Amino acid sequence: MNKRRPNPKQVPDPDEPLWRSTLRVAMPLNLSYIPIGLACGILLHAAGFNTLLTGLVSLLIFSGGAQFLIATMLTINSPLLSIVLMLFFLELRYALLSSSLSPYLKGQSNRFLFIFAVSLNDENYAINYLKFATDKKWTGKEALMVEHYSLLFWAVSNVIGSLIGSALKIDLGVVNFALTALFLYMIVMQIKNRLTIVICLISGVFAALCMMLTKSTLGLVISTIIASLIGFFLETTLKKHLPDSHWLWKLRSPGAKKSVVENTEDN
Amino acid sequence: MNWNSTQHFWLIILGFFVAFIPRFFPLMLFTKREIPEWFNEWMKFVPVALFTALVVKDIFIDSESYQFIFSKYSEMIAAVIVVVVAYRTRSMAISVIIGLISVFLLSMVIA
Repeated sequence: MNKRRPNPKQVPDPDEPLWRSTLRVAMPLNLSYIPIGLACGILLHAAGFNTLLTGLVSLLIFSGGAQFLIATMLTINSPLLSIVLMLFFLELRYALLSSSLSPYLKGQSNRFLFIFAVSLNDENYAINYLKFATDKKWTGKEALMVEHYSLLFWAVSNVIGSLIGSALKIDLGVVNFALTALFLYMIVMQIKNRLTIVICLISGVFAALCMMLTKSTLGLVISTIIASLIGFFLETTLKKHLPDSHWLWKLRSPGAKKSVVENTEDN
Repeated sequence: MNWNSTQHFWLIILGFFVAFIPRFFPLMLFTKREIPEWFNEWMKFVPVALFTALVVKDIFIDSESYQFIFSKYSEMIAAVIVVVVAYRTRSMAISVIIGLISVFLLSMVIA
């Protein structure tokens, strides 16, 4: 591993077995799942999930945001319907991710698409999208392997987190902030022009208002629909009437090298 | 509502379906035909709107009374730090870890 460091863009060894070359692609993601998976497992344990169920939820739902959301909503005793509805809206964004991968998976069987969809999530999407777009030899098979590696690391980290949670007393207020931080990170990754920042502000105001009025997390659902529709109409109108508007200017970001991976989420 | 493991299990199963449907059906549909443009344009704003709403809930809304609160100073400051770190590093792990460390340190200072 360390030997590769000085020259990471080395020509890949043609004899390298597939499992190892795909693991190398997936490794940065796998490593970043460890701390987040641990935090998520600790929170799920505090919310009352036993270790077995924590493993199951990581395998079946496999989404950091969704699992954190389950944990917080369980600790505030939300009703089942409200949690499932929130999950639905949280997971709706995958419609976008899977639509944008579809051109690369034409001709695959429905069975393959099923297995691929089950283990798709934000982060392995970002990797696979970039690989599909840049590497002609990248096929569904390799992409699925990357998904499974990340799924494995995620589930194991969650289970270990659940065990840590049952062994130690941990300040939940602090661990809970992992979720807020994760969402903030995802917001920053989504911001690509000034208009997006305006939508953030609109969404924030509506979210506070709707939650105060409905006195439940249903307010989140309502404000998400309103704010995303406002964004959709604002952008359509701006593009039509003022295509040069500075609200549509792209924002540049430092860390440009790595951002190539994450920016693909915008497409 | 008090939860037991059986109910947790059903929550996971229902959660699986709501997580699976938006991942699978677009994939199945759009590997066979084209994506409608308006759908893409609209869906583009869903994540950003939802994540902001969730952050507002975590920082500015009381989890029991659903009233607006402006007292979680350590979370507010830590949130600004996370945004700056995320913008500069673009790394999920670093952002989350720095966020956790700063909220921990700030809550000791501000209390």
